[in-house]
Amino acid sequence: MNMNIFMVGVGGQGVLTIAELLVAASIARGLDCIFYPTKGMAQRGGFVKAQLRIGEKPGGPDISLGGADIVIAMEQNEALKAVPYLKQGGDMIVYGYRWLPTDAMLGRAPYPDATQVEAAAQTRQACYTYVPTEKLMGGGGENIFLLSASQKHTALKELFSAEELFAAVTQRFPKFVESNKNAFRCGQQV
Amino acid sequence: MLRSISGNEAVALAAVNAGATVITGYPGTPSSEVIGSLWGRELSGVEVQWSTNEKVALEIAAASSWAGQYALCTMKMSGLNVAYDSLISIVYSGCTGALVLYVCDDPGVSAGMPEQDVRGFARMSDMPVIDVSSVEDSYTLTQYAFSLSARIQSPVMVRSVTGVALSHAAVDLPDMRPALPRPPVLVKDIEKFTKAGAKICVDQHAALLISLDTAQALIHEDGVNPLSLAAGAVAGLVAVGIMGAYLDEGLALAKARGTLPPLSTLWVKTTVPPPVEELRALISACDIIAVVEENEPYVEHALLREAFHMGRAVKLIGKDDGTFSRIGSMDAASVAKAALLACGMPPAEAHYADTTAHCAVRPIGVCAGCPHRGVFMSINDAIKNLGYKKDDVVVTGDIGCTILGMSPPFHTLWTEVSMGASIPMAQGFYYAGVKTPVIATIGDSTFIHGGIPGLINAVWNNTDITAIIMDNGWTCMTGMQVNPGTASAFQRSPQNHRVDIANIIPALGVEHFAVVDPYDIALTTKTLQDMAKLPGVKVLLARRECAIQANRRKIKYADIKVDAGKCTFCKLCVMKTGCPALTVANNKVAVDTKQCNGCGVCASACRFGAIKKQEVQA
Repeated sequence: MNMNIFMVGVGGQGVLTIAELLVAASIARGLDCIFYPTKGMAQRGGFVKAQLRIGEKPGGPDISLGGADIVIAMEQNEALKAVPYLKQGGDMIVYGYRWLPTDAMLGRAPYPDATQVEAAAQTRQACYTYVPTEKLMGGGGENIFLLSASQKHTALKELFSAEELFAAVTQRFPKFVESNKNAFRCGQQV
Repeated sequence: MLRSISGNEAVALAAVNAGATVITGYPGTPSSEVIGSLWGRELSGVEVQWSTNEKVALEIAAASSWAGQYALCTMKMSGLNVAYDSLISIVYSGCTGALVLYVCDDPGVSAGMPEQDVRGFARMSDMPVIDVSSVEDSYTLTQYAFSLSARIQSPVMVRSVTGVALSHAAVDLPDMRPALPRPPVLVKDIEKFTKAGAKICVDQHAALLISLDTAQALIHEDGVNPLSLAAGAVAGLVAVGIMGAYLDEGLALAKARGTLPPLSTLWVKTTVPPPVEELRALISACDIIAVVEENEPYVEHALLREAFHMGRAVKLIGKDDGTFSRIGSMDAASVAKAALLACGMPPAEAHYADTTAHCAVRPIGVCAGCPHRGVFMSINDAIKNLGYKKDDVVVTGDIGCTILGMSPPFHTLWTEVSMGASIPMAQGFYYAGVKTPVIATIGDSTFIHGGIPGLINAVWNNTDITAIIMDNGWTCMTGMQVNPGTASAFQRSPQNHRVDIANIIPALGVEHFAVVDPYDIALTTKTLQDMAKLPGVKVLLARRECAIQANRRKIKYADIKVDAGKCTFCKLCVMKTGCPALTVANNKVAVDTKQCNGCGVCASACRFGAIKKQEVQA
């Protein structure tokens, strides 16, 4: 089966790492994949996007509008911008983290709340999951936590078991097995 | 074994395995990882270097290929603008080994600078250009480019685009095996390698056209441009470069709209020379042909030309008829639209509501602790202290992280043109009769790349300008490459000589020269004010290492604390610094210690002494 996964967030959150872990899990399974990272220059706090296409002959790097089976968003503002990429009836998972650019912080620019993101996702009949930041308790990477929650709540589970993904995590971060085990467990409990 | 590798890494691997012994380039997104992936590797007998600019890089690679070596030169599309002066001469001379030039275009502009199409350069200099469309292609077609270059004895360009260069795919490629050293072959052939005199130049042009014809025949023989003629098809689809990677997906999208009649396809990977035989075969068979081609419609025009000469009134769908735009990138939906139109079916016009109206724009800005922040704040303060308004004082900008001074909250910079242009642009404003101070800003690598001639011009003509060289020790925006000014400890090897910008400036005859720490806002501001009042050329070298690089070595300069009792929540610190480490919550400003490196420029912005800087004990 072919699966298009569109991931967004902000530099420093580890969005690209989620994609790299999924690439590692795909390779472990012998699945073809293409991963196209986009990051705003070398800076922290800039817009980050990862497009991942898994399956036979995954094609070109860009996912068309309305072409993503799954949208994984680590930041609320970027989540709303990503909605048009979601397929009708696709899965969308949004982490409740808010990273306000200066203008939004000063009240000079709009910044969406969680209900706006959900309402937009519903216009695409999304299977929508909101992941509150508080659900990650006791340490570990937020990105690992969201990866785990995505496995639980989206079509990602049709491709990978939780064990497979956690194996990719431990292989990548052998020094942080315990904290990531916690983050992964929290993700499974969302 | 499958492994994840990027398009750029595949080019590096292909070049080394094809026998490249000299690999040069200048960093530029999205091309930087070719040399980046080879950096620090033990490659005995292979010279891998970041050169001072693209022109220098190309000249080094070319001369090596004139001495019989296989050489690769890499750059982004804007880099080819710099190197083109030499490229056209080099192409007219050909080569004796092999020379491959790898250039990345950026359709849709994900990294900045004009959306251009380097295939135009290949056309102007009659050199073959091969478009890579995937990571696998990046490997096989780079190898092919070396073999083609060796066979035609002329340079070959490999053109990639951001989506291919930066994407990673699970592919099964051989390991890296550098070639055995090849002794240089010295060929003294004045008629081939100089341009002195009309006869030499005209003869070289004639030889070049013959080599291009040879390339055309070889490319056809080797089946580089796959043509698939469907039985009974009167409709054709031409996909150029990366668009070929979307063919299957796009056709599936089109088929979801209804049954398609038979459709012939041609995947064009060589714009120069165009695959004339394949184009003619398609034109003979089809009454209607759609072309999906990012950027400029070069292949579409080649098709048009062949159809005209064949006397075939084929209906063409592409950019000339307005179906597609010359602006931006294309994807599978574009292929679907082209296929449907070629088959006489209405295209799918799906509507996607624009959600961005409710979102904050995330402007590109400088990182927490970035030394450039101190320079922008100091320029803004100096302008104010001198009694001018911000719109009275021209501050020209340059390429790289230093241009982020155009972004909020600084809005300091007025212009961005090309590598090194800031200093000559400042002189232009001066000669236009601007009576207020004129300031130029430029980064260290950019200054070495192309800024020095402009500064010499300013000194020579005694122009009243102030140039600020923002030296953070690295070539940062492209991913932290070393440059000649990088500290000795971080140079590639002890054999590299560090070239200190602080020694260059006085040697150029600059009389008013000062070095400051941009974290010291007071001194930087005062120095700028003093310089603005002086006649002639003034140069300020603002020196402090890039915060990202310092952070990687766990350097923290101080602890920054906000005294909640003194903070009046005026938010001036946020408005003046735009520092992402400052957060606003519960009517107080707080410091995100994860991001803060203790640069302390926020403390200088606070009027109430509420932000305290405590030096970290060593």
